[in-house]
Formats: sequence, structure tokens, C-alpha cells
Amino acid sequence: MPRGQKSKLRAREKRHQARCENQDLGATQAPVAEGESSSSANLLFGDRPQNLPAAETLSIPEALQGAPSTTNTIAPVSCTSSNEGASNQDEKSLGSSREAEGWQEDPLSKKVVSLVHFLLQKYEKKEPITKGDMIKFVIRKDKGHFNEILKRASEHIELAFGVDLKEVDPIRHYYAFFSKLDLTYDETTSDEEKIPKTGLLMIALGVIFMNGNRAPEEAVWEIMNVMGVYADRKHFLYGDPRKVMTKDLVQLKYLEYQQVPDSDPPRYEFLWGPRAHAETSKMKVLEFVAKMHDTVPSAFPSCYEEALRDEEQRAQARVAARAHTAAMANARSRTTSSSFSHAK
Amino acid sequence: MQGSTRRMGVMTDVHRRFLQLLMTHGVLEEWDVKRLQRHCYKVHDRNATVDKLEDFINNINSVLESLYIEIKRGVTEDDGRPIYALVNLATTSISKMATDFAENELDLFRKALELIIDSETGFASSTNILNLVDQLKGKKMRKKEAEQVLQKFVQSKWLIEKEGEFTLHGRAILEMEQYIRETYPDAVKICNICHSLLIQGQSCETCGIRMHLPCVAKYFQSNAEPRCPHCNDYWPHEIPEVFDPEKQREAGISKSNKKSLRSRQH
Repeated sequence: MPRGQKSKLRAREKRHQARCENQDLGATQAPVAEGESSSSANLLFGDRPQNLPAAETLSIPEALQGAPSTTNTIAPVSCTSSNEGASNQDEKSLGSSREAEGWQEDPLSKKVVSLVHFLLQKYEKKEPITKGDMIKFVIRKDKGHFNEILKRASEHIELAFGVDLKEVDPIRHYYAFFSKLDLTYDETTSDEEKIPKTGLLMIALGVIFMNGNRAPEEAVWEIMNVMGVYADRKHFLYGDPRKVMTKDLVQLKYLEYQQVPDSDPPRYEFLWGPRAHAETSKMKVLEFVAKMHDTVPSAFPSCYEEALRDEEQRAQARVAARAHTAAMANARSRTTSSSFSHAK
Repeated sequence: MQGSTRRMGVMTDVHRRFLQLLMTHGVLEEWDVKRLQRHCYKVHDRNATVDKLEDFINNINSVLESLYIEIKRGVTEDDGRPIYALVNLATTSISKMATDFAENELDLFRKALELIIDSETGFASSTNILNLVDQLKGKKMRKKEAEQVLQKFVQSKWLIEKEGEFTLHGRAILEMEQYIRETYPDAVKICNICHSLLIQGQSCETCGIRMHLPCVAKYFQSNAEPRCPHCNDYWPHEIPEVFDPEKQREAGISKSNKKSLRSRQH
């Protein structure tokens, strides 16, 4: 049950007072919440978490202003106390008035938490994550500390959710999540539904693999049609299958969709994307295909052999990576900046 | 939640998998949540006894606390179905909407939200919302565009549409209740029984107090002569049935398929 209005009002007044007393950046400020030009950051939340012992929580400097909004959008003033803090664009660090966890007392920690929220949102929506967006929406002025903030946020997410954040495109700085729990199927529906939500992808990966690791677009659609999925027909589960296959899954790096070299008129083909290689394996996809045909992977001898070789290579890569990680961790503990994301 | 006095729970892969899947779905009904929980146990810890859902969730929440996130339980306003969502607690944390929508889109949402809160029924008609497009901040938006933006809101589970009218999705209420209560303290309606934010509900025609439909159902359960808890006048509205998860499930696989379909679609 939400707290009554009175106690919230009192809490707000206390915060307001604390804020007026400590205008400068410092380690022991009551952090500004509704300040920061009452940005779109105030959009959805008007009050602090009920479980916080004392004053406020996090603030996003200059509000999440970035592209979507340069001014207050939905929240005028989310609290009745006025926005004097608005003019003070500096961030306040978390107050030591929060006696809870020690790690929260350093100035980056609220950025870490904000980044966690941002990343989880992207995870939920299966949207690509770019370094640019992270800086624009969360990191802002602290972009010199980007690596550290990202590392800490990733660690929290890894611990709580069991997902790893990795840089999948070091040139354009795209990141993606990889479940450590081996989550390739939409597990809650695979028992009851005929096609798991990610089934579309798995089918595509299967066709591509069985076809020698690249499949003409027509071949993929042919199989999809058998399952009742048509490129240009709205599907009750997948919506717009053509868009899912040629745009969404490509953007998420699960598939690659490219023109067949030297094809005239241009024809297109699908290949596995880097994320498919990272998140699943030829063997797993082969198992999926075998199951769909009510048989076993070894029923496809050449594919099976290729899958076995792939498994071997992965095992070797894992061993090498582990050794490398250990070495990097040692090196990192001695330096301030970390390029861990590149140490793949 | 008790706050910092609560001892930190222990996360295992069972909990992590649960969180991942819950997040993927955004918001889930209680029955799905229980099934999800059982599934996670099956995958990671076959022999363990499945924790009571409430304890399981409290455990997770104690770990998420330091990240200002929690799994929150709410109840749909129209038929009392319990729902769960992962919700941000931090006041000014990254707004889930601000990074997805442009300034004028967010303003459209605000206009719709205001109309919904001010309305008697908890619904704002598409026409009334669209008539406000000229007042939106940011880039000029045509009515056609606005219609599509409203559909975007429906797909992202911020709004529900019923016959051309819009109200807040249960998930939006879970996430935004505090914000709404603080931003619109005068316009906001509160349920007389549970004291939570009320968007849709029934009201007493004499004294004006309001109650959620599921709260009405529970309060007047097996009461032949329902009377207003405040002024004791005869309660004039039809009393809905208390939500019964068992009956829901008996209605058959086809119904649950349809429901899970619906929730996936919007």
C-alpha cells in the first residue's frame, strides 16, 4: 500500500531543506531528485522508493534530454516543492544519509543504477544497445568514466539476471546481451505453443546451416510457408514476418541479409549473424531441426560432422578465453581504465 | 518490502532465469508467473521444493533493492487478475518512455493521461485525445500520426484500447501510480477500500466514494444487500464476481492461449 500523502509531504520537505543547505557538489548531499530541470526523467516517478530510509535518490543531469526531449515533457513539477534545484544543473552524489549499502556512496553509483535501468529496458524490448545511446541518455557528462560505469552496471546485471553484456560490433560500438543460462527458446510457451516465439529465428538458422551456411531468401521462405508463415502476410505471433526476418533480426545481429554477389537481377541470401554464432551453436540448431523432423542430429551426417567440429572449436575457444580473462583481470587491477570489452 | 533492514537474499540460477523471462514478457499474469517459476525450478534445480511465490519474489526483490528495481504485484482494474511486472523504483531513473518516444509523443501521452484521470469512467475517447494534437509540445503532429502513436502506446502496454477509448494498462498503473498521485493530486481518484490509485471503478451515487471493481467484488462478496461503506446508502451497481484463478484455468487451453496471445500482441 503506498504511503499516505502526509508522510510523503514531510519527506519531501525534508529533502527540500537538505538540498537548500547543500548546494554544492559534495559527498554528503541529499541528492536532487526533482531538480535537474524536472526533466523527462521525472516523467514517470514522482517519489522516492518507499524503502529508502532518508532523502532522495537518483537524478539524471540535464534530464534525459537527449534527442527525444529538450524540455520538460510530461512532468511539470513532480513534487510540490518547487524546482530551485532546477537551475543547478550539477549532479549531486548520493547522500551518506542512505546508510544502506556502502557501494552507493561514490558519485558514479547513481549513474550505474541508471545505466542498469536503461540496459534492462533495452533487454526487455530486444533493442540494440549502442555506446552512443548509453552516453546520450545516461552517462552524459561522465563519459570519461564510461568504461567503469558500464563495467559496474554489467556486473550487477550479470549477478542478478544472469546475462552478459558484450560488445558485438567494436566499430560501431553495438552491445548485446547474452544469457548465461542458455536461453534460446521462448521457454514459457514451448510447451504449449506449436512454434516458440524464437522459433522463427531457429527455423531460419536451421535452413541456413543445412544449406551450407548461406541460404537464398526463397529457400528460407519456402520452409516458413510450410509452417504457415508468409513474408507478406500478417502473422498473429510474428506480426510482419518479412520485417522480422530482414530487419529486426538483422538489426539484432542474429541474421545477416545480403545481396547474393553478382546476382542480376539482385537476389538476396541469409546468413547467421554474429549474435547467432555467439548465442547458439550449430549443434543446438541441428538438434532443433532434428526434433522438428522427429529424428536425431546424426540423421544428417554431413551437418552432424560439421556441428561436432564446431563444438570442438568452441570448447577450445572457451579455454583460451578463460586464460585470457584471468590475465586481463590481473592487468586491470593495476590500471584505472579498462578495455575489457575488447578482450574477447 | 521492509527496506534496508531486510537481509539480502540469495540469487541462484533459478531466480535469474525467472527474472530474464519475466523481463522478456514485460508484464505477466499470476498464473503465468507461477508456471514460469515452476519451469525455472525444473530447469535448474529439479529436486528442490518450489518456494511459495511470495517468498520467491521477496527473495529476488531483496537482491534487486540496491538497483532500485522490484517485482511488483498489482491487480487489473477491470477483472481483478493479479499481474506482475518488473518496475523501476528510483524517482528519476531512466523513464521507460522518454527514450522511446519523441517530445511530442510523450506530450500526447500526457494529454491522454490527463483526460483519462479526469474522466468519469477512466476512459478517454480517441476523438477527445486527437482533438488536442494542436496543443502538443515539440514537432507538429497530425491526427493521423497521433492515431499511430496511440497504437504504439497500446503495443508497449502503456494504454489499453477498448472500442475507440483508451485507459491505462495495468502495467502503467503499476509503474506510474506514485507519479500520477503526485502530479495530479487533486484530480486523482482513490479507491475507498484499498486506497490505491483508481482509474476505472464504481462510485456511490450519493456520497461519491469510489471502489475498484475487484475491490467491490471482494467487499460485497456474498452480501445480499450491498451498501456503501461510507454513507450506507444502497449500492446501485452490479457486483462483479471475485476473480477465481481456478475457474479461469478451467475455461480451457483455448482461452488461456487467447489471453497469452492478447498480452503478447499489446
